[in-house]
Amino acid sequence: MRKTAVRTTDVWKIYPQEPDPVEAVRGVSLQVETGDFVAMAGPSGSGKTTMLNLIGGLTRPSRGGIWIGDREITEMSDKALAQLRLERIGFVFQSYNLLPVLTALENAEFTLLLRGVAKDERRRKVLELFHKIGLEGLEERKPGKLSGGQQQRVAVARAVVADPALILADEPTANLDSTASSDLLDVMEQLNRDQGTTFLFSTHDPRVMERSRRLITLVDGQIESDKRRNHFSGSP
Amino acid sequence: MRLTVLLKLAMRSVGRNTRRSALTAVAIALGLALLVFSRSLAEGAYDEMIDSGVRMGSGHIAIQAPEYLATGKLEHRLEGKEVRIASKAVDDVLKESLLAWAPRLSVNGLASSTAGAVPVRIEGVDPERERIFSNIEGKLQEGRYLEAGDRLHAYIGTELAQRLDLQVGNRFVLTAQSALGDVEGQLVRVAGIFQTGIPQVDQSLIHIPIDTAREWLHTPDAASTLAFLLNQSGLTDIGVETLQQELENEPKIRVLGWRESSPELAAAIRLDSTGNYIFHSILLAIIALAILNAMMISVLGRRREFGVLRAMGLTAAETGLVVFLEGLFLTAASGVAGITAGLLFTWGFFRDGLDFSIFMEEGVEFGGSLMDPVIIPRFSVEQILISTFVIVTIGTLSSLYPALRTSKLDVAEAIKFEQ
Repeated sequence: MRKTAVRTTDVWKIYPQEPDPVEAVRGVSLQVETGDFVAMAGPSGSGKTTMLNLIGGLTRPSRGGIWIGDREITEMSDKALAQLRLERIGFVFQSYNLLPVLTALENAEFTLLLRGVAKDERRRKVLELFHKIGLEGLEERKPGKLSGGQQQRVAVARAVVADPALILADEPTANLDSTASSDLLDVMEQLNRDQGTTFLFSTHDPRVMERSRRLITLVDGQIESDKRRNHFSGSP
Repeated sequence: MRLTVLLKLAMRSVGRNTRRSALTAVAIALGLALLVFSRSLAEGAYDEMIDSGVRMGSGHIAIQAPEYLATGKLEHRLEGKEVRIASKAVDDVLKESLLAWAPRLSVNGLASSTAGAVPVRIEGVDPERERIFSNIEGKLQEGRYLEAGDRLHAYIGTELAQRLDLQVGNRFVLTAQSALGDVEGQLVRVAGIFQTGIPQVDQSLIHIPIDTAREWLHTPDAASTLAFLLNQSGLTDIGVETLQQELENEPKIRVLGWRESSPELAAAIRLDSTGNYIFHSILLAIIALAILNAMMISVLGRRREFGVLRAMGLTAAETGLVVFLEGLFLTAASGVAGITAGLLFTWGFFRDGLDFSIFMEEGVEFGGSLMDPVIIPRFSVEQILISTFVIVTIGTLSSLYPALRTSKLDVAEAIKFEQ
C-alpha cells in the first residue's frame, strides 16, 4: 500500500475583506499518494493556487488540517515550516522565479546549498540532472540569458534536485509554447517515473490535464470532480 | 554554511543593479568625503583658535590664586612661595610636555597722556619668556617688543596709541592700586605698538617688564598667573589633573585648563562645534535617506524573489538578513570610499592650509582670540574611527527597516507579485 504524500481535511481559506470576506477554498478534503502525478484544474479564481500555497505552507488555512506525509503542518511555527519546505517540498512557479543573481547551476543547487550538501556532491547531482533534462552547457548562464523553457527546466531542476517528497507546480506551462510545454512535461514525467517524485500541479492547460494520472477539478474553492485517468504512462 | 549562502546572495544583489548601487554609493561616498573634509577643517580651525587663544591668554594650563579667575584683582595673586612651589610641581610632572611658560602680573589701571586717560589691562611680563610663549611680538606694527633689561618700557596696542596720541618713544603714565592699597603711578615709554585685530586687546592691553610691575605694585616675586604652553593641546586635561593632584595640599594655588581660564574661547568653540554637529547630522541624515531609499526600492522591486527564497526554505529572519547584509555591504563599500576620498582630497589639496583671507583678510576674532585666515586641516585617528562608527551605525539603522519589511512579507502574495 502506498504512503500518503499529502492529506487535507475540510480546509478553508477565507480572506477577510470588506464588505464580504472572500472564501478562496471551501472545505477541501483530498489525499495524494506518494509517486502520484496529479493535476488540479479549474477556472481562474477556483482556488487552485491557494490550495498549493496551503499545502506548501506558504499560507495558513483559516480552518481544517493539512498533513505532509505524517506531519500536521497547520500548527507548525514559521521556522519549522521553512525547514519542512527545505527538506520535503519543491516548488515550480508559473513565472519560473529563478534568482536573477545566480547562474543556472547555482539556482539549481540552491536547495542543496541550504541543506549543507558538500560542493562536489552538489555539482555532481546538478550536472547529472542537467544532462537528464537537456540543460547541458547552460550551467553558467544567468536566468536573463535563458529562454522561458530553459528557465522553467532550471526551476524544475531546482525543485527536484534535493529529492523532495513532493513537487508543487503552479501553472508550470502557462508561459511556455507548446513545444517547450511538451518537453517540460516529458521531463517531469521522467522524474516522476525514475525517482518516484510526487507531483501536484495547478493548471488550466489541457496538455497537463491530459498527461496527469489524476485530475481534480476545483470550482469556487470546492472539489467539483476527482477522476483517475488510466492512460498515464508515468510511475506505476 | 547558511550564513555563507546569505552573504553570497547579498553581495551578488548589491552588484546586480550596478547603476543604482553605484549612484547610491557615490552619494554616500560624497557625503562622507564632505564630512571628513569639513570635520578636518573644523579640527584644524579649533587647533588654530586654541593655539592663538592660549598664547594670547593664560596658556593651556594656568596656575593662579583660587579667587583670581573671578576677581582679576591684584590682591588675589600668587606670592613668591607659591610661585616656587607651582614651578617645581610643573617641572616635576609636565617637563616632557612643556613647550614654554611665562609668569604674568596683571592689574587693571588707567593709562594717561596729555591726550586723555583710558582704562587698561596692564600685564607685567618676562620679555624673554613672553617672546617664546605668546604671539604678540608677531603683531608688531612699530618699534620693538620688550627686551631683557628693559625697565620703563611699554608695549601697547594701536587703538590705545591713537586714543592717547602716543608714538614710539613717547612717555605716558600708568596708574593702579598697589598691593599696599594706594593708588600709585608709573611713568613708562612706548617701546613698540602692536595690532592684533581684536579691538578689545588693541585698545586696552599693555605689556611692561614684570620686574617693573612688581616694584611699582609692591609685590616682589609675585605673579597673577603662571601660564604654561604644552606641545599638544590634547594633553591639557591630563596635565591639569596631574598638577591638581600634585598641588592638592596647596590651598592658595589653583590649576586651570584653558577652557576654564579662557571661558569665552571655550564657549565659542562649543557653539561653533554645535553648529557643525547640526550640519553634520543633516548630512548624515541625507546619507541615511539615500541608503534607505536605495534599499526600499530594491526590496519593493524584489518581493517575488524574497517570496521564492522563503518557499525554498529560508526563514523570515534569514530573508531579512539578506537585505540587511546588502545594506551593510553598500554602506561599508561606500563608507571606505568616502572616508578615503575625504582624506585624500583634504590632504592632497589642502595639506598646507586652506586660505580664507579673501573672506577675513588679516584674520577674524573668535572667542577673544584671533583666528589665522589660513586654516590647516587636521586629521585624527579618533575622527576617522568616529566617522567609521557613525557610517556603520547609519548603514545598520537604514537597513533595518527594509530588512524588517522583507522578513514580514506575505509569501503567497509575494510570489504572485509582478516584477
